[in-house]
Amino acid sequence: MMLDYVRLEVRRTLRDRGFVVFGIGMPVVMYVLMTNIGVGAGGAAMEWKIASMVGMAAYGALGAAIGSGTGVAEDKQLGWLRQLRITPLSPVRVVVGRGLTASVTVLPAIAAVLLVGALVNGVRMPAWQWAALAGVLWLGTAPFTLLGLGNGYRLSAQSTGVVNTGCMVLLSIVGGLWFPTELFPGWLRALSSWTPGNRFAELGRSVTQDGAPGPGTVAVLAFWLAVFGGYAVYAYRRAARTP
Amino acid sequence: MARTTGPGGTAHTAEGVAAVEFSGVTRSYGAVRAVDGLDLTIATGGTVALLGRNGAGKSTTLTMLLGLLPPSTGTVRLFGGTPEAAVRAGRVGAMLQDGKAVPRVTVRELITFVAATYPHPMDVTEALELAGLGEFAGRRVDRLSGGQAQRVRFAVALAGNPALLVLDEPTAALDVEARRAFWRSMRAYARRGHTIVFSTHYLEEADEHADRIVVMDGGRVVADGSGAAIKRQAGGTLVSFDLAGAPTGPLPGLPGVSAVEVRGDRALLRTTDSDATVVALASLGLVRGLQVVPASLEDAFLTLTSAETAPAAPVTPAVPAAPARPAAGAPSAKERA
Repeated sequence: MMLDYVRLEVRRTLRDRGFVVFGIGMPVVMYVLMTNIGVGAGGAAMEWKIASMVGMAAYGALGAAIGSGTGVAEDKQLGWLRQLRITPLSPVRVVVGRGLTASVTVLPAIAAVLLVGALVNGVRMPAWQWAALAGVLWLGTAPFTLLGLGNGYRLSAQSTGVVNTGCMVLLSIVGGLWFPTELFPGWLRALSSWTPGNRFAELGRSVTQDGAPGPGTVAVLAFWLAVFGGYAVYAYRRAARTP
Repeated sequence: MARTTGPGGTAHTAEGVAAVEFSGVTRSYGAVRAVDGLDLTIATGGTVALLGRNGAGKSTTLTMLLGLLPPSTGTVRLFGGTPEAAVRAGRVGAMLQDGKAVPRVTVRELITFVAATYPHPMDVTEALELAGLGEFAGRRVDRLSGGQAQRVRFAVALAGNPALLVLDEPTAALDVEARRAFWRSMRAYARRGHTIVFSTHYLEEADEHADRIVVMDGGRVVADGSGAAIKRQAGGTLVSFDLAGAPTGPLPGLPGVSAVEVRGDRALLRTTDSDATVVALASLGLVRGLQVVPASLEDAFLTLTSAETAPAAPVTPAVPAAPARPAAGAPSAKERA
């Protein structure tokens, strides 16, 4: 019965034109533009095409993950969360169901950018590397889902939209998903390596380079997973107290 | 079904455990007491109306009934357990007042999902037919008209085939035709032996569609019984006549009279014994344009609720007393007029 809920919410998300255009279309368009304008040919260009592919897939996944919280805020405003509370579906299942929904709705953005990488930009990797890349990008969205859900439970629908978009853009830029961190000043590069967005992309990059994410990357992401997880639990408890 | 429950009303009726039991329930928002010492027992089966004005405490009562809001003091029990347990067991379905359409799902998808969360749901097609949504099953919920969206919310409430159906002002914002259709659906659901509790501020609705009316005002129950019983309780008959300048002083003391109101030159007496009142009036010669009519439920309702909010003044002094303070000149005269 929780899977029925996930199915319903996934359907609702995929029918949202805003989600399809900005959540899936935008990373794809940005990837194509950034790797085909003013970029020559050769080894350096191919390296950038791979790095940007990871960055843009991460950006798309991060956006979809955080955006699932915007949906929660809307549902709260519509009274849908309240209506769910008077069905036999338990509150825990509703929250977990929302998280699972996010884990499904991040997939189209990841798949779309990787497909464009392979088909348009001619990125070539062994099959296991493609699978591993998609896999780590998928798993790595968990902290961002929790951040988005936390905002969604805590804030109104309007504020959640703004705050979540702000979080997404900030984490993407500071994390180096749009432009490589090599272009950053030293202090920002140092800061960047502590942010979840940067380590999320690092997760993908390590797979395309030497095969396994470093312990530092996993540790930083685990830290943010715990922080955002605690935040989401706090926000949900607060929201439940004031129905 | 006219049964009244005073303080300490019992949880167990002849049929078994009560569907709903409030005992000593209060709920405050800051300094405001929305519900103030509510004792209410609702047996299983039958339809009960919670009748009251806006702000009488109906919605707060229903929100506590559903377990969405904890009472400040007192306890709420559904089927002998907590509201949460009854909800989790799928015994409750509800139509909330402020619910809006869930976007980007079709009517059938939504109702199918809700039904599947309940242990013994109604057949989805049957639920859609009962709510009058048969022809809209494939439409998206957010593209329906207001009246149709209201039917969707009704279908959501009954899809799980719950033993207790709670409807918070179900016909607000519906036109006359849609309202009639709604009550037809609700009666069809009631005939299946389910318990229905609905709130309304329309007296005719309560009288027409409920077996029992619980009148609320100021967060308390001010009357409880069938429509007929409520009319009796509020003083059954209205006697009116032209004063033609006669003093109103003796009127409140006449036999049977429970309230006096003066509108222009006409006096309206509410009486529990119209025969005695009329005989007494005749002896005073106050029979010009005399009319005796049974009090409408509307009258009864106003009596009950105004008596609660202004307990000191069921009787209106008709003729202004002679001004005690000479200083109070024109302004006070204007205030009285």
